[in-house]
Amino acid sequence: MIAKAAAAQPARMALVVHPVMGVLSSFQSALTAQGFVTIVARDLPTALLAITQHYFDVALVSVALAEGGDGWPLAGVLHLVFPQAFVAIVSPTEPDVLTLQAAINYGVREIYEQTKPAREVVNSIVAQLKPGTSAGKSNVQ
Amino acid sequence: MPRKSSLLVVDDESSVLLTLRLILEKEGYDVITAASCSEALGLLGNGGQFDAVITDLNMEREDIGLEVARAAQQVRPKPVVMIITGFASMDNSRAALELGVDYMAHKPMETPVLLAALHRLLAKRSEPGGRV
Repeated sequence: MIAKAAAAQPARMALVVHPVMGVLSSFQSALTAQGFVTIVARDLPTALLAITQHYFDVALVSVALAEGGDGWPLAGVLHLVFPQAFVAIVSPTEPDVLTLQAAINYGVREIYEQTKPAREVVNSIVAQLKPGTSAGKSNVQ
Repeated sequence: MPRKSSLLVVDDESSVLLTLRLILEKEGYDVITAASCSEALGLLGNGGQFDAVITDLNMEREDIGLEVARAAQQVRPKPVVMIITGFASMDNSRAALELGVDYMAHKPMETPVLLAALHRLLAKRSEPGGRV
């Protein structure tokens, strides 16, 4: 009996949390096209349920779920639970100093403006996940 | 007896440095202070091992504390890196995010908030396989 030399690579998992179905759908399509298994959630309870059931490599969270700013603590939880994951915030507005400070303090790697096409956001994430890129690299786009 | 966490605190204002030192030592930390970026870089470059580096931004020149943060990020095992500044701007905040700084606080700051963040980040760092 010959053992397999190498196990197949498990699929990379992504979580997208956004209250707007259209935004969820576009991110899911873009992530799936890049080979991610994508779990979507429209609210905090569903996102928390997903966190208990999967190990995520990427998380994209809206800055506002039920109310303005409540995406930040969820991003912080994702960073604590999945310290190797790439956690990003999607915001409808340009970041200011306080937004950047929040990103640093919640362990968020990127802030993407919601006007940016989903495909571009996902391409940016994938580029930063590739081996050889700096683990600590973060940007605001 | 568990080892005390060692902290490098960097600020060019002696009153701030002394205050932080007293507060942090009272919390049970070993505190080394540096009154300039160059002094801090010397400590980090000479094999200084710290569990956390807390630095001001504007010292010898504007935003030079980012150099301390950059040098601290190169040390292995990587210390927790915290910035405390009274002069946060888009540019220096963006640079701190890009550097992977763990925490950024604006002066004046609430001491309990700073201590809570420090305790949390150090606890996370000390976990097996822990990464800040």
